[in-house]
Parts: sequence; C-alpha cells; structure tokens
Amino acid sequence: MNLEKVIFGFFVLLAATLNFGFFIGDISRPEVHNVFELFAAFTVSLIATVLKFGDRSQMGAVHLATSLVADLQLAAALVVWVTAEEVLQHGMTTAATASVVSLSGGALLANIVSVVLLVTETVTFHRG
Amino acid sequence: MSNPLLVFWSQIFGHREPARASSVGARQEFADQASATIFLIMRRMRAPLITLIVIFAVSVVGLSLVPGVDPSGHRARFSLFDSFYVMSYTATTIGFGELPWTFTPAQRLWITLTIYLSVVGWAYAIGSLLTLLQDQAFRQALALQRFTRKVARLREPFLLVAGYGRAGEVLVKAFDALGQRIVVIDEASSRIDALELETYHADIPGLVGDGANPHHLSVAGLGHPQCSGVIALTDDDETNLSVTMTTALMRPDLPIVARTISPTVADRMRAFGSPSVVNPFDIFGDLLRMALEAPATYQLLSWVEAGPGAALPDRGNPPPEGRWVMCGYGRFGRELTADLRATGLDVTIIEPTRSQDGLDGVIVGDATDPAVLARARLDTAVGLVAGSDNDTTNLSMIANARRINPGLFLVARQNRPSSGPLFQAMHLDALLVPTDVVAHEVYAQISTPLLWRFIQAIPGAGDQWAADLVDRLVQGCGFELPALWKVGLDTYQAPAIVPWLRSGRITLEDLLRSPEDRDRPLRAVPLLLRRGDETLLSPAGDTVLAPGDEMLFAGHGFERRALENTLIVDATAAYVLFGQHVPASWVWRKLSHKDPTPTA
Repeated sequence: MNLEKVIFGFFVLLAATLNFGFFIGDISRPEVHNVFELFAAFTVSLIATVLKFGDRSQMGAVHLATSLVADLQLAAALVVWVTAEEVLQHGMTTAATASVVSLSGGALLANIVSVVLLVTETVTFHRG
Repeated sequence: MSNPLLVFWSQIFGHREPARASSVGARQEFADQASATIFLIMRRMRAPLITLIVIFAVSVVGLSLVPGVDPSGHRARFSLFDSFYVMSYTATTIGFGELPWTFTPAQRLWITLTIYLSVVGWAYAIGSLLTLLQDQAFRQALALQRFTRKVARLREPFLLVAGYGRAGEVLVKAFDALGQRIVVIDEASSRIDALELETYHADIPGLVGDGANPHHLSVAGLGHPQCSGVIALTDDDETNLSVTMTTALMRPDLPIVARTISPTVADRMRAFGSPSVVNPFDIFGDLLRMALEAPATYQLLSWVEAGPGAALPDRGNPPPEGRWVMCGYGRFGRELTADLRATGLDVTIIEPTRSQDGLDGVIVGDATDPAVLARARLDTAVGLVAGSDNDTTNLSMIANARRINPGLFLVARQNRPSSGPLFQAMHLDALLVPTDVVAHEVYAQISTPLLWRFIQAIPGAGDQWAADLVDRLVQGCGFELPALWKVGLDTYQAPAIVPWLRSGRITLEDLLRSPEDRDRPLRAVPLLLRRGDETLLSPAGDTVLAPGDEMLFAGHGFERRALENTLIVDATAAYVLFGQHVPASWVWRKLSHKDPTPTA
C-alpha cells in the first residue's frame, strides 16, 4: 500500500463527494444547499489540485486539468453566492440559488471525470 | 496541407532543410530534462501550498462559526464571505483595520489563534519558494530554457563554437567584429560567465555543457537549420574528436574545424567525413620556416590572419644559416625539428629523458642547466627553441641562452595564457601561443572563402611582393589592419556598373575613385581578384574588370561605403567612371532626355 496513493485518492474522492452533497436537492431551494458544504468542497478541491502538481504523465496532465476546471467552477459559484448575499443584499433568491447550484453541478462533472480517471488508473495498474 | 496557416508557413520557410529526426529527438530529450526539474519543483511546493490552504480554510470556517454580536445587539455570526475577508488581510499580515463589526472576546480568541497559525503557514510557503529559487538545479534549468529559446530564435546563419578558452575568445571576438553570429558551449561555467561579461556587438548565447555530449550539442543548435559550421576548440582532444564525430553523423552537410595536437587524433577525426583539422604545432613549424625564409611573407600572413583591428607585427630578422638548438623533444619539438631539418638546417636536441638516445645530436640533460647548454655549443649556434611544456622552464632556458650568446634567434612556446606578459617582456624573435595560432587559422579558414584563397596564395608569391603589399596596406589603411571585405561584381551587388563591365573597358583604377571627387582615389587596397577558378593576387590598377568577378579589399568602412555607392547608384557610377553628371531620378532623366550611357 502506498500512502501517497491513499492520500491522493482520499482527496480526489472527498472533493467529488462534498461537491455531490452540495449539488443534490432541488436546484432552486436555498435551504437544501448549505454554503459551508460548498466552501468545504472548494477547499478540498484546491488541495486535490495541489496534490496533482508535478505529475509528468499524460494521465497526470488530464487529472490536473479536471481539478482546475472544478476549482474554477466552484470559485465562480462562491462569487455568485457572495454577490447575492452581500453585494446585492437580496438574499438567496431562486435565480441566485439555481445559478450557484448549476455552477457547482459543472464542477461535479469535472470531479466525476477525475474519479473516473482515478478508477481507470487503478484498474489498469498491473503489479508485475 | 488543408490548414491555410500551414500552407503559409511552408511557403515562407519551406525552402529550409528540415532538421534531421535524430537531432530533433535528442533535443527533445534534453528539453525534457529541463522541464523535469520544473516538475520536481512544483512537486516540492505541494506541502507548503496544502498547509496554507488548510490553515486558511480552518481559520475562515472557524471565524464564521464563532458567535458574535451585531451593532444592534443581536447575536449574529460573520458570514463566510466576511470571515474570508478578515482572514485574507490578517493572514497576509497586511492588518487592514476594517471590521464588519466589533469582535466579541470569543472571536478575538479565535483571531489570535489564526494569526499565529497563518503567519507560520505563510513563512513556510514563502521560505520554501525562496529556497527553490536559489536551488542550483532550478537555476540551471531556467538558464537552459533561456538558452534554448535564444538559439531557436536565431534567424541568421551562426557558427557553433565548442570550447571558449583563450582560442575561442580570440576567435569569437574576430567573428563578432565581422557580424557573424555565434553560439558557444563550454564545460566550465566560469568561461560562460566570462563570455557574458565580455562586450560583444551581438548577443552570444552561451551554454555550460559538455561538447562530447550529443544532447548538449543539439541544444546548442546543431540541428538548427541556420547552423553554418561547427568549430571544436576545447583543449581536450577527446572532446574535439567527439564533437567532430557527432557533427559528421548528425549533420554531414556542415563544415567542421577541429583543433588537436596529436596526429593520431587527427587521423581519427578524418575518418569521419572531411573535417578541417588544425594542429597548432604543425602550423607553427610551417610558420617558423616561413619566418626564416621569407620574413615579409610571414609578416603579411600573420597580419591578415590576426583579424580586424590587428596592429602590424614586426618584421623579423632571420638569422644566417647555421645550427639550431632544440630544447624539449616532445610533440612540439618533433614537429619543429622535422620542419627545420627539411629546410636543410642542422639541429641539436636537448632532452631531459633518455628515451631519444638512438638519434643523432641528442644531448640528454636538463636544458635549464647552463652546463648542459654549454655542451650544446650555444656559442656557435644561430637559434634556440625553448619548446618544453612548462613556461618557467622555457623562460629560464631563454634567459640562460641569451647570456651565453646574445645574438641567438630565440623561439619559445608559451603554454599558459597567464604567462603572456613574461614572454612579451623577453622580446623573443618568434613566440608560439598555440591558442592564438589556432584562432588565427580558424578565422582565416572560415571568415570568407576569398581570404582563405588569398592566404593560401601568399607563400607562392615571393617575399618581395609581400613586402610591397605590406607597404601599400600601411599607406592605404595605416598600421592597424581594417576589416577585409568582399565585393562581387554581379547584378545583385553591383547593378549600376554591370552593363558597362560587359564593354570590357572598365579598369580597377576607374572603379576605385571617390564619389565626391573622382580625382581622389579610394584608399582601399585590392588583395585578390577571383574570376571563375582563377585568382589574381593584388590586382594592378589597369586590370580590366569583367562581370562576375569577386574581389577582396582591405580598407576602412567609409571607403567601403563609397565603393558600394558607386556599385549601386547609377548616377554615382556615371560620375565615378566617366565624370558625367546625370540626373539621378527617373522623371528628371526623362525630362532632360539624358540616359546614363557611356560616351567616353
């Protein structure tokens, strides 16, 4: 067992699960989407990105790309949330909630690709 | 080629020879090594970055969970955004004082904790980054990338010089003065630093690398379509041999000049294609023979070979025929002895080891010992060669010999550049500095083909001719040799006079007149005229010129520009050749019904 692989898999998977947890639920109802969960998903996604730094293989490059996409989407979702709550002060309206959740949905897609890559890598790994 | 960009590209650059696959592969591999270092550095930044992210996230979430009180007195928490804002300026130690509302003691407690945490996190991250920036491997990787980019961007023909020692420096200086682009590779980083400190006209990319390594040569531009030649000048024969080998195998179309002092290595080099091998000892033997037999020829040759801006060397006084004493019978001594004996001179050899006992006239002993020198009968000798590979020994031999016989013709070999001033102070009759000999020879071979032809023709032209030419050069250009330049009388370089050349009446004298005042001759000295395969040395003023002639001139830049003006501008040509003033512009020419055709 390789500890590096454990940590790597843990963070990639955790990023996807947190993202999924935030995304699940009616897209327009703010009370079923907790902003702390979104923040946690963003943080873990950042950590997963840094963990993917410095891998020279083709697989590593795609891994890094998916993570960067997820980061970008989640950051955009957070910016929309801040704009709705603090800048415009109209609170989480249906439209604002929908746009935050749909942005996180895009990130979820990238995270799923990341997990698929992880699984593919594991399945194609032959020991000797 | 359906992509229009590709079509465009191939039309512009299509005529170029594509770089060979092998060299491209090697270059790719080496570039990969460079990016590997950068990947390693990214990998090393993982831990500090993750630490920073975790500290930040914990601080932000914590702050938004700690209960607070808003201005109206209600219990309220900071939103995530407010916490992020406060943490951002706190963690980065900016300490911007704007708060959403006054902190409660619980929030202050949390903030205090996070300040210490985040300072540690930042210090760790920034410290790691600074350490990496100073990392030797990282800096080398950056330097290599910069070098690769510079070489790849070269759009003019360039020479690849392997080895930037003393010879390399002299040569690079001479080529730079001619406007020739150069790429340098040397094993010692101190030499590359010296290259960067030197003030050259052009930017000369330098790489710390091993010439024997094909990857390094590829990175230095061996596979580059504009690479026009390779010069191997390192002081290691083995390295020069591998440079020759690599070039011959990867770019057989390129000319190679390689330095060696061993005839065996020279043979091995010649096994790969046809490199031009420069052996300083061999060349110096020929030069010494020339200096003894034809001092003016030797003077002219060494002046022309020394490159732009060289001062006129002194003309030596050759000794009368007689016996020579050779101290040191190594590679150099052997070459020189053979050359001297070939001219019919008697040579006595002094050699410290007994290995040469079988030969005639060999005295075994230390040549710095006056008793040994006395045995060599210095008082009746005419010349002495101090040819050991130790500068101190050579200097003391010279000093001893001069005390015994002040009239001796003294020749010495200088091994280290640092002993140059000492040998200068001895005022020797001939001094071998192997690096300079190599540099001059390579310069003569590569700078222009006409110069090489000229130099090859010099020895056959006689000493009197050489003395006359030296006088004319001094008259025309002064005691410092200006640049040598080539003029081709073809429709491209001389469109204004080619039609008149066909008439066969234009002489060299007619052409070399000042465009301001045609009674004043240009102070440019013609050295060589080439017509087809024939060459004419120092053509006289009444030589009739023909289209297609090529000429080598010595003269200052303003004389060159004056001549080029005559060759290109129709009106100037008409004035210079025939003294006619014709209108320069097309409109005026039509209006005045004058056509610049010769009537003279």
